[in-house]
Amino acid sequence: MSFRLRLALLFVATLVAVQVFTAALVYSVARRALIAEGERQLGVGAAAVARQLDDISTRVADNVQILSLDFALRTAIAQNDQDTVLSALRNHGRRIGAERMLLIGLDGVIRSDTTSAAKGASFPFPDLADAALDHPAAAVVAMGGKAYWMVVVPVYAPKAIALIAAGIPVDDALLARLQRLSALPNTLELVTDSGGGHWVGIAHGDGAAAIAPRLGNPGLPLQPTLVDADSREYVVLATRLKESERSAPVAAVLGYSLDDALRPYRTVAIAWASLVALGLFVGLVGALLIARGVARPIEKLAAAAHRIASGDYAAAATANKYDEVGQLASALAGMTFAIAEREERIRYQAEHDAVTALPNRQAAETTIQHTLASRPSAGALLMIGLARLPEIIQTMGHSISDRLMSDAATRLRPFAARGIVARATDTQFALWLDGAGKADAIGVAFRVLDVLGVPYQESDLTIDTEPAIGIALYPVHGDEASALLRRAEIALIAALGAEDPVAVYDTATDPHRPERLTLMTDLREALDRDQLRLHYQPKLRLADERIDGVEALVRWNHAQRGPVSPDTFIPLAERTGNIRRLTRWALATAIAQAHDWEARGHALRIAVNLSARDLDDSDLPMRIADLLSLHRVAPRNIVLELTESAVMGEPETAIQVLRRLADLGVDLAIDDFGVGQSSFAYLRRLPVREIKIDRFFTQKLGEDVGDRTVVRSIVELGHRLGYRVTAEGVETRAAFEFLREVGCDHAQGYYIAKALEPVTLEAMLARGGGMEHFGARA
Amino acid sequence: MHFGHAVAAALFAVAASAPAIEVDVIVRDSGGNPAGDAVISVRGTTGTGTGTPSVAQTHVIDQRNETFVPYVEVFRPGDSVVFRNSDRTRHHVYSFAPAKSFEFVIPPGNSSPPVVLDRDGEIAVGCNIHDRMITHLYVSDAPWVAKSDAQGHATFADLPAGHYQMRAWHPQLRPGKQQPDRAVDVGDGTTTVTFELPLLPDPRPDAGDREHTRY
Repeated sequence: MSFRLRLALLFVATLVAVQVFTAALVYSVARRALIAEGERQLGVGAAAVARQLDDISTRVADNVQILSLDFALRTAIAQNDQDTVLSALRNHGRRIGAERMLLIGLDGVIRSDTTSAAKGASFPFPDLADAALDHPAAAVVAMGGKAYWMVVVPVYAPKAIALIAAGIPVDDALLARLQRLSALPNTLELVTDSGGGHWVGIAHGDGAAAIAPRLGNPGLPLQPTLVDADSREYVVLATRLKESERSAPVAAVLGYSLDDALRPYRTVAIAWASLVALGLFVGLVGALLIARGVARPIEKLAAAAHRIASGDYAAAATANKYDEVGQLASALAGMTFAIAEREERIRYQAEHDAVTALPNRQAAETTIQHTLASRPSAGALLMIGLARLPEIIQTMGHSISDRLMSDAATRLRPFAARGIVARATDTQFALWLDGAGKADAIGVAFRVLDVLGVPYQESDLTIDTEPAIGIALYPVHGDEASALLRRAEIALIAALGAEDPVAVYDTATDPHRPERLTLMTDLREALDRDQLRLHYQPKLRLADERIDGVEALVRWNHAQRGPVSPDTFIPLAERTGNIRRLTRWALATAIAQAHDWEARGHALRIAVNLSARDLDDSDLPMRIADLLSLHRVAPRNIVLELTESAVMGEPETAIQVLRRLADLGVDLAIDDFGVGQSSFAYLRRLPVREIKIDRFFTQKLGEDVGDRTVVRSIVELGHRLGYRVTAEGVETRAAFEFLREVGCDHAQGYYIAKALEPVTLEAMLARGGGMEHFGARA
Repeated sequence: MHFGHAVAAALFAVAASAPAIEVDVIVRDSGGNPAGDAVISVRGTTGTGTGTPSVAQTHVIDQRNETFVPYVEVFRPGDSVVFRNSDRTRHHVYSFAPAKSFEFVIPPGNSSPPVVLDRDGEIAVGCNIHDRMITHLYVSDAPWVAKSDAQGHATFADLPAGHYQMRAWHPQLRPGKQQPDRAVDVGDGTTTVTFELPLLPDPRPDAGDREHTRY
């Protein structure tokens, strides 16, 4: 309930309470005054009734007295003429309105009776008869449930010879007349004691209610008394009437009706009550109107506030009022606008990259996820990386890189027409293409490359950004935006390292697939349980076609998965830091094998591959020395093979480790030579004794003239620089013949043998181990 | 008008064998006031003194100023009464008394014929024209009869000693209140007998009781 409503209700309630209290007070005062007035009127009325009844009594007595003087009557009485007397009494009784006329002897015996045959009986009111000789005697008596004036006068002839008694009814009509003539109070009744103080009415005036039955135990109310009769209130007062001592007592009861007296006030009370009701109604309606006028807009404002809280900034409730509510509404509207603006800004900042004004990764992910929610048939996510950006930041600082990224964003923005362009990381942009399939995505990727391929220019500066793009396709590479982003990034990483600047995500090469993690766990377990095996691929010395060396290759037959390709787990081991343990195991196994073979007369140099991560391990030379001495293996029987890229990674550390290894007497070989970025100039600084020509050049050596030239040159140059030269991947006789022709030192490949278990290799060596053994195969 | 008793005393002054003794009678009403016009009649129980029979007389009851005069008149049986109208109005004299009833309309200045009252008894006489006019004719055969004076005194001066029955009557005696006869022994000296009678108000207009003027 609102404050104003409560206030209004308080006022109304106070008004009503005051009015009711005043009304009650006035009623009480008026009632008391009326009672007092009633008592006064009753006092006067009672006296008046007594006086008037006396007057009537006197008049009646006079009349009877006059009758009694009628000479004929007297004659008849004196002569005891019964019939005449009776008829005369009847006649005279009618004249004066008497119901009953009696002739009574001076001895008190009734001699004639006009109504009943009471003749001969004693007159019931001898006191009246006695008094009548002194003066006319009259009294109100109760006879047969009626009230009578009983008037007794003597008959003089000329002295008293008899008495005449006249019974004149004091009936309702008489009382009513009495009331009318004398303005007596409302109710006039005659009551008589019916015995035991029980008063019964015997005549009623005009009054509506019979009071007599209400007179209770106190009996006759000789003092003004309040009496309830027929649910009306009366003030009553009784006065005893002149009575015969032989008759039951008779009294006049006067009633003053409070209700009648209050009647004139009733219209006032009704008017009053109407006024109060009207005031109440007007007050309530007013209060309700005010409350509604206040509450409605406030409810609207509250609803608007709820909407605002839930993020709906649509126009808040408008109030066209200039009161407090209106001010509140406009304040609320202003607040809403400010909040919306601020929230918009915060959201923009949260969702956008400050430099490029493109959506950031989170926003992009959310938007893409939102798009994916509708299950489109296809879609592609392009992760665009600028390969040179870290370098640019390092050389020229962030401000220029920011400008460069901003410029790149501007170039990319048109592609947003196909979907979404966002800045994924410092160096990457993400481009989502709605509905794009693989071919479409690749096409777009090349257009992006075209756009970004134009070097960035700023004053006299021209920067080539070397963009690359990784592509993840929906739904084949993931049905979640986050997965697509991750995989596109993986593809980008692949693309950054490859010649082809566009790479589509390949599940097989993804080093980040979750199963890779379990694979590494399994690998460690396999190392602990010695579940890995080394196979040895023979290296044929071309000069005498003897196998004088082998390359140790790791083979893993996974308990559940079966054989796991080294191409799968070795890069993973490199990434996850497990490669060192693998290398140690391979060195230990290979050196142990070298000891075994040496002991059994097999002169085989065993080559073991080192990873780039192994070159960070400064303990490695010490560990190899320990192994060699442990197995009493000559260092010259062990060859350590390194890829060009491994050496290129951390040149100084790597060179130090390599020097220490070379100092041990172990030979070092450069693996996969020819495809990397190494140069002879660089190699010259390394203690390398052997180079292995990458299979890229040897596989088509039979027919490709270019490859032949390259191989011939490498062999010639390598020899000139003092390196032994080995060709890998020799698979054809033509290649084999060419290599022998150009004077390559060793050949390795399926043409000679695949990697073999030690037992198989030993068997092969036992059969001669020369080229003749392979003749059939070639 | 109260001189009647002297006449009566003279009438009844009979010679007795015994020496006469005076008997004084005092009559009062209930209030102790002297009651005049009371008639005391005395009879001897011993048979001595029977009074002296006398010749019949005629008593005149005058009517003056609408009043019978006298108010009470004592008669002996056989006496007559004549009503004389001394007023200028007519009077309608009547009696319904058992002892003698009559009715005369007497023009002014005239008199009624004599009416012989041959029986003892009380005869109330009224005028039908003037309600307030009343007189009482008391016919008694008692040897001694006296009427009280205004002071309520009646004196029997010459009663011989002996035993008597004494009766008091008054026109206003309340009906039903007739006093029983009083036994009186008359011996030496003066004997005083007092009667106290319950009386009704005097009906006569000039009797001084204004309450009754309206009758």
